[in-house]
Amino acid sequence: MDFSLTEDQEMFRGQIRKMLDKFGGTQVAREMIADKPESLKKVYSTLAELGCSGINIPEEYDGLDLEALDLVPTFEELGRSLVPGLFMETNALVVPIIKKYGTDEQKKNYLTAIAAGDKQVSFAALEPFNDFSRQGIQCSLAKKDGQYVLNGTKILVPEAELADAFLLVVRTSEDVEDGLSLVLIDAVDELNIERQLSFDEAKHVAKIECNQLVITEEQIIGEVNKGWEQLQEGLLYFNAALSSYMVGAMEHVVHMAAEYAKIREQFGQPIGRFQAVKHSIVDMKVHLEIARSLSYYANWVVDTEENDREAAVYSARTYATEKFIEAASQNIQLHGGIGFTEELDCHLYVKRARYYDQYLGSTPFYQEKVVASLGW
Amino acid sequence: MDFSFTKKEEKFRTELRTWLETNLPEGWLEGKRDLPEDLDEYSAYLRAWQRTLYDGGWAAIAWPKEYGGRDASLMEEIIYHQEMVRVKAPPLINYIGIHMVGPTLIDMGTEEQKEKYLKKILTGEEIWCQGYSEPSAGSDLTALKTRAVKDGDRWLINGQKVWTSFGHVADKCFLLTRTSTVPEKKHRGITVFLIDMDQPGVETLPIIQMDGHKDFNEVYLTDAVATDADIVGQVDSGWHVLIALMLHERTGIGAELFTLEKQFNDTVTLAQQYKVNGQPLIHNPLIRQKMAGFYARVRGSLLNYYRNLTTTVKNGQPGPESSIDKLVVSELNKELSSFAVEIQGHQGLLWDKDAAVDSKWQRLFLASFGQTIGGGTSEVQRNTIGERVLGLPKDMGR
Ligand SMILES: Cc1cc2nc3c(=O)[nH]c(=O)nc-3n(C[C@H](O)[C@H](O)[C@H](O)COP(=O)(O)OP(=O)(O)OC[C@H]3O[C@@H](n4cnc5c(N)ncnc54)[C@H](O)[C@@H]3O)c2cc1C
Repeated sequence: MDFSLTEDQEMFRGQIRKMLDKFGGTQVAREMIADKPESLKKVYSTLAELGCSGINIPEEYDGLDLEALDLVPTFEELGRSLVPGLFMETNALVVPIIKKYGTDEQKKNYLTAIAAGDKQVSFAALEPFNDFSRQGIQCSLAKKDGQYVLNGTKILVPEAELADAFLLVVRTSEDVEDGLSLVLIDAVDELNIERQLSFDEAKHVAKIECNQLVITEEQIIGEVNKGWEQLQEGLLYFNAALSSYMVGAMEHVVHMAAEYAKIREQFGQPIGRFQAVKHSIVDMKVHLEIARSLSYYANWVVDTEENDREAAVYSARTYATEKFIEAASQNIQLHGGIGFTEELDCHLYVKRARYYDQYLGSTPFYQEKVVASLGW
Repeated sequence: MDFSFTKKEEKFRTELRTWLETNLPEGWLEGKRDLPEDLDEYSAYLRAWQRTLYDGGWAAIAWPKEYGGRDASLMEEIIYHQEMVRVKAPPLINYIGIHMVGPTLIDMGTEEQKEKYLKKILTGEEIWCQGYSEPSAGSDLTALKTRAVKDGDRWLINGQKVWTSFGHVADKCFLLTRTSTVPEKKHRGITVFLIDMDQPGVETLPIIQMDGHKDFNEVYLTDAVATDADIVGQVDSGWHVLIALMLHERTGIGAELFTLEKQFNDTVTLAQQYKVNGQPLIHNPLIRQKMAGFYARVRGSLLNYYRNLTTTVKNGQPGPESSIDKLVVSELNKELSSFAVEIQGHQGLLWDKDAAVDSKWQRLFLASFGQTIGGGTSEVQRNTIGERVLGLPKDMGR
């Protein structure tokens, strides 16, 4: 038994960290708040140069043919600096879906470009006044006169302005059991995209409206009317990746809290000596390590056929979201007044924690998935 | 990453499993698992079980072969605990001898001490207890007052120990005493003695615990006698011996985690069997959410333990992060057993043979309170983690 990342994986983490530190850590996220995506774009191309974008892509499409677990250091480091962008959507959602369900043609087009860092794909699933469920997808793709026509509205589409393509979940039937389908859209210029104001300003979101948009057969991935089921497979990878991202972010939160508690003095001593402070940072640390263990396992199990594959991934996601928001919130408290300011990064972490806590399903939503997948 | 066991490890597991099937007490596997109520019978029963383990070569697998062990690897120890939990094996009455005192003597004892004690630890002939805590020395052990004074060629020991587990059945005690009252630091001036419990100067009085059991004791020492040959390590340097002893207990938390996992699985069954409004409880959305929460935490704790274990295997010693495991398992155990009682509603209030399902839940709930106190309280664990893992400033007075 060996439950640890390899030396190579840890070394790779070091490289990514060094690179992101050069960009100033959370500076990239802060520039996004100011609507300046240039640094983020540079980060993305640097990640591609380092080989990140090809990690889980087969060799025949110029990738490194490695596994989800090999992406963990990258996601943790991106989380540590709260780097927004589409790396997770692209490599941890779209790539696994195309690998599993795409045609040879789709694989060639997408995987090769993604590996090279030339294509980032955003994810358009959510709709106004609907939850993230099969029934909540109403955007309709109807076949008419031999061609498909798409109508409907998607919201909370991440970093749409950086996307070279979109993955959409759409309804193709009201009658059959699944009734949804997955569609890839490259012609981003033809889409009606409108920025939405995001609670987490460093995480850009947009609304996409489709009005009689013509879609070809080649743009549909996998089977028609099996889209929801296929999406779940992709979401396993996405949620495993997301748990790593949050672990990285949480690690930085714990670091901030512990370091501040060592240098801030009150009543003639560092505040970290007060147990109300010390013990609450310890609890954050304990939760962080448990979350890390769950996320490592999730990213390992997702590439296997173990019985607890789903339960493990969804557990990692729920645990990480719950503990991330808890830690990020407590971090503000531990900083006192300065923690309440815009200047310090504390609030950026709370906002991102809030964002992921409620993105693509809530904690109870995933808890139910855990229990259901175990057959209870 | 690799969660498989090697062929050698699997063979070890099969060997143990087969052995257990034929050697567990009569009827044990079929569910006849009641231990005798009477103290003497209880002690005789468990000593016999320890002797059976010894005869099969399974008493202290981690010890070196030359001292009667198997030189078991860490992973084999883990497998050993897993299998013992699987068959709910009888408790190890000489836990302290096997996992703490024995390895410490192998490490720092004199040849004479090894000769005199090791074999009897293995066979269960001599049961050990540890005498650390005192009425005014608990979390702060350095406040201990029990005095050992040289008197001719022997030592006379006076004072009181408390919460001494197994004290009522023990033949021997690994005793912390103060041999100097003018040390520059309070943890200096402490000496470890190996003393006889069966002597005029030692009186043991059982303490009734909140769960009705009498597993720990007051131990009064009045001119209790020991000799130079009974000292472990050096005079006044018992603190080092104590730390060495703690490092030897390397897989105890693993055993607790496997037990916790089993209890969680039983809780799932409980929630499936128990009906509310004619429906199995596990169909209730709120219960489902809580079960999912526990599932994540139980799995997370186990995985975290494996991660720390990997570090130990790779570096030859546990990293500071492994101090997290004790805190996590004891706190989680407390919440989980409380939950298991809670979901039984008003019927959960029935006790012992009238219990609605199985009174083990009520018992576990009560026993769980001891886990976050014994072996270092959760607060003290948090201090340790804060200081050793996060580098936060030390607690006052330390
Ligand atoms: C089931 C069980 C078995 C035991 N077996 C043995 C045994 O075999 N041999 C033996 O010697 N002892 C044994 N003990 C004793 C055990 O080690 C002590 O109870 C424990 O170390 C706590 O000491 P105390 O009871 O004096 O509590 P105290 O130290 O008085 O603690 C009281 C409260 O104060 C808190 N506290 C104390 N110091 C600090 C601090 N620095 N920071 C924050 N909070 C603090 C504690 O966390 C606790 O909540 C056993 C205890 C139990 C419950």
